[in-house]
Amino acid sequence: MKIQDIINGILNGDRRSIARAISIVEDDEMVIEASEIIKGIYNQTGRAHVIGITGPPGIGKSTMIGRLARVLSDGNKKVSVIAVDASSPFSGGSLLGNRIRMQESLTENGIFMRSLANRGMNGGLSRSTWDAVKILDAAGNDYIIIETVGAGQADLDIVDLADTVIVVLGPGLGDEIQAIKAGIMEIGDIFIVNKMDRDGSFLAMKDIQDSLAMTPQKEWKVPVIGLDSLKGKGYDELVSEITKHGVFNTSRPNIRLDRFKKEVEMALQAEIRRQYLLEARELISKKDAIARLSEEKIDPYSAAMKILKSGKTGL
Amino acid sequence: MDGKNLSLFKDKPIKVLLAKPGIDGHDRGVLVLAKAFRDAGMEVLYAGLLPTPEEVVDTAINEDVDVIALSLLNGAHLTVFRKISELLKKRGIDDIAVVGGGTIPDGDKPKLEKLGITGNYGPGTPLSTIVDHITARASEARSRKMQ
Amino acid sequence: MDGVKENYWENKLSEFREASGKKGDLVGKWRKDVLEPWNSRTKYEDREYSNSSNIKIDEIYTSEDLRNNFEDKYLGLPGSYPFTRGIYPNMYRGKLWTMRMFSGFGTPEDTNRRLKYLIEHGESGLSIAFDMPTLYGYDCDNKRADGEVGRCGVNVSSLRDMEDILSGIDLGEVSTSMTINAPAAVLTAMYIAVAKKQGVPLDRISGTVQADILKEYIAQKEWIYPPEAHLRLIRDMMVYCTKNVPKWNYISISGYHIREAGSSAAQELAFTLADGFHYVDMGIEAGLDPAEFAPRLSFFFNSSINFFEEIAKLRAARRIWATVLREKYGVRNERSLYLRFHTQTSGYTLTWQQPLNNIVRTTIEAMAAVLGGTQSLHTNSYDEAWALPSEQAVKVALRTQQIIAEETGIPDTIDPLGGSYYVEWLTDRMEEEAFKYFSEIEKMGGILQAVKTGYIQKEIAATSYRRQIRIEQGKEVMVGVNKYVENNEKPINILRISRKAQKSQISKLLSVKQERDEKKVKEALSELDNALRNPEENSMPYIISAVESYATLEEISNVGRNVFGGWKEPILV
Repeated sequence: MKIQDIINGILNGDRRSIARAISIVEDDEMVIEASEIIKGIYNQTGRAHVIGITGPPGIGKSTMIGRLARVLSDGNKKVSVIAVDASSPFSGGSLLGNRIRMQESLTENGIFMRSLANRGMNGGLSRSTWDAVKILDAAGNDYIIIETVGAGQADLDIVDLADTVIVVLGPGLGDEIQAIKAGIMEIGDIFIVNKMDRDGSFLAMKDIQDSLAMTPQKEWKVPVIGLDSLKGKGYDELVSEITKHGVFNTSRPNIRLDRFKKEVEMALQAEIRRQYLLEARELISKKDAIARLSEEKIDPYSAAMKILKSGKTGL
Repeated sequence: MDGKNLSLFKDKPIKVLLAKPGIDGHDRGVLVLAKAFRDAGMEVLYAGLLPTPEEVVDTAINEDVDVIALSLLNGAHLTVFRKISELLKKRGIDDIAVVGGGTIPDGDKPKLEKLGITGNYGPGTPLSTIVDHITARASEARSRKMQ
Repeated sequence: MDGVKENYWENKLSEFREASGKKGDLVGKWRKDVLEPWNSRTKYEDREYSNSSNIKIDEIYTSEDLRNNFEDKYLGLPGSYPFTRGIYPNMYRGKLWTMRMFSGFGTPEDTNRRLKYLIEHGESGLSIAFDMPTLYGYDCDNKRADGEVGRCGVNVSSLRDMEDILSGIDLGEVSTSMTINAPAAVLTAMYIAVAKKQGVPLDRISGTVQADILKEYIAQKEWIYPPEAHLRLIRDMMVYCTKNVPKWNYISISGYHIREAGSSAAQELAFTLADGFHYVDMGIEAGLDPAEFAPRLSFFFNSSINFFEEIAKLRAARRIWATVLREKYGVRNERSLYLRFHTQTSGYTLTWQQPLNNIVRTTIEAMAAVLGGTQSLHTNSYDEAWALPSEQAVKVALRTQQIIAEETGIPDTIDPLGGSYYVEWLTDRMEEEAFKYFSEIEKMGGILQAVKTGYIQKEIAATSYRRQIRIEQGKEVMVGVNKYVENNEKPINILRISRKAQKSQISKLLSVKQERDEKKVKEALSELDNALRNPEENSMPYIISAVESYATLEEISNVGRNVFGGWKEPILV
């Protein structure tokens, strides 16, 4: 597929083009094509309400997202989902499992879903996730839901990327909840206690409400909502809070600016990386280069400086 | 910071969708394959139990997979694999490879291959054979995607 | 349960530790004086010997490996507690195991023919296999069923099909096993309806439905509704049949599928019995007396290729069931402590390569089942990895059982391997492994929790994957597959299912729908809907009415889909 066709396809909402574009931005080897695509669609972005969902594993996030996506799309809105799964640090492969939990809603309701492997990002959100969001935004989605791996670092990144951050917790987490809470209380715009039909859910809600009362007050009053995903209870309230938060965000122009700053930073890093690391790899792979450096018995940092200084002339 | 752990600029991993597109819950094989593919460095999607052919194709397109790996042990492969192949054609997809497996009699393999479905591995096939075949077909599909 | 039963599993585990025999002196001396010199002289290369349950196997076993008071406390004699040696005092001398060959394919008429063929050739019990649409509660004309109708079993879309399957077979004279799970209640209702039409009183009909829904979530994955809904339907069958169809085994608690899904023998044993205990709990909760309903709980195990492990597993199963039912559940009546089981030889162990080798494998597995004391047996056909059994292949499988029964002398004495040091030691080990799992499962909140969270399924997938890797590495041998491989495999004649079955079933269904009284159907389905919504109501009579009105399998299953919804399994991958 040609890049221009892909760009047109995205703007027309063609799934194949959207899917292909996301594959391109995922591929580090295709940085040039990726930036062409982003260039071509960027002025159509900024409309979508980006919802980031985080929380510990096993809490029913995926089922919940499937339901939420359906409810949002029932309101005649275009919804897409991005699910980030962890990659194996050893083989580099991943099992992108979240899809199955949400499967039913997707095909029936025309909801687009894409699984992204984090490819060893140590928990953070890769640049491709950001670009995938832009693509889906330009494709005309009203809502883009991102489900993260939920392991600390990703939580911080999601704050930058999402308009609304939803933290999903559950009953019976016990001691774990205290550990989780450290750091998580500040990032959520909406808190959900899932599996409300279970024992301990009411206590969990109370616990979270109390903790929120102790964190520094923001202008936005953070709601705590109980959900029963199997019965569909609580979703109306959730949607209403999401909508309210969307409106609240319009009174905060800095969000867009901060995000743009982060994106420019990432683009800079990517470009630096591309320029320098390509070269660096060449230099390091040069015959005997490492062996010779090692003979000089210098430390790795000095070795690196030496390599950088040597530039294209070789060692 | 953006990057990959193991090797800089490692080739983009092969993305494969494993599916049992018929009424067949015997998933021992696909669960083993899923782990084997992941250990071979691929990104693996598993379509779960009892997806419809439409759901399988939809997923394959949205996820922009390189290969759809179909497995059926209930004898309905000719009908069901054909449905998938036809759906892909209908949606104009020519850059996703389809590989088959299961209890497929030798006599049926040529028919499947005519539909573009290759491999069609039976019980006892070494995992490495399957991984190699998927890798080969994924590369073909990839090159068609680049055009 | 009560105070005595708290920490029950832990206490049993400590029994094992305390009561162990003193291994060391006899064998220690022998190793030093006899074995080691021999090993060095012959340059013996040591390797690890273990079985599927990861139990390390020594070169020799002696009386030192038996527990204290072994014969009295743990071995006993046939027909008495704890039944290690067999549930009946005279076992096969009194009555041979039932030769029950799983059959079914194509149209009901095809299946009827195959059933009559087998009866003619000496089969003593009927066993019916259903196609995938039927197993999942879909009719033959459902879009999803395209290509699947009659393929791996017989298609049943309405009562008319059941009538055709059983045509000319006197239900008062045979015992029929139906391998059906999610819609088990519906097929039971159909069988009952046919019996009624034949004029056979319900207290005379004998048979089994598999119905064990827990193992579906674990291994076979043929469910329709969420677990609690299916369990309620099982409870209804339990109560209804206990009262009205006393010879009907309304559940066959299965380990076969768990093993085929990749579990070890110990996992098969543990998970199956854990499921069994859950059903016992359910029956008690429904107000039934375990002494009353336990005799109707039957089991279904796998017989795989590691000969002694399988025998030990089956003996351990009997002992565990009797012990737990007596000690934990307080059941005193000995007849209620029997673990009765059907066995099927393992499909997984059969290879596509060199299929005639499979006859040998099935024979060995069948022998293990007989030495393990099975009540009924299905032997697989040698073309198992190719297709459904051809007539020739299924005949050989049946003859295998007949040869074991008539020519080998194996059934002439009861539990011939009883007292073997190895077999008794291994039986103890299997029992111990099972108790470890019971304790784990209890800590997890019970088997239902363990299943809903995917813990059991993940254990099995992990065991299965490890085994596959071992096979790929050659550490585990499959003859013809990774050793003694032949390159020019010749194709064999296999059974082909044509699409004719689908066509004829669809047109038959059309005429059934045209001939039936629509008003009656609607009424019956609406009443079933009401009954299902009320957890106190027993759904069986309503299902029977619906079936008799010729409502179709899918129409009836859909009432449940409406009331209960579906269920997605947790992420295993």
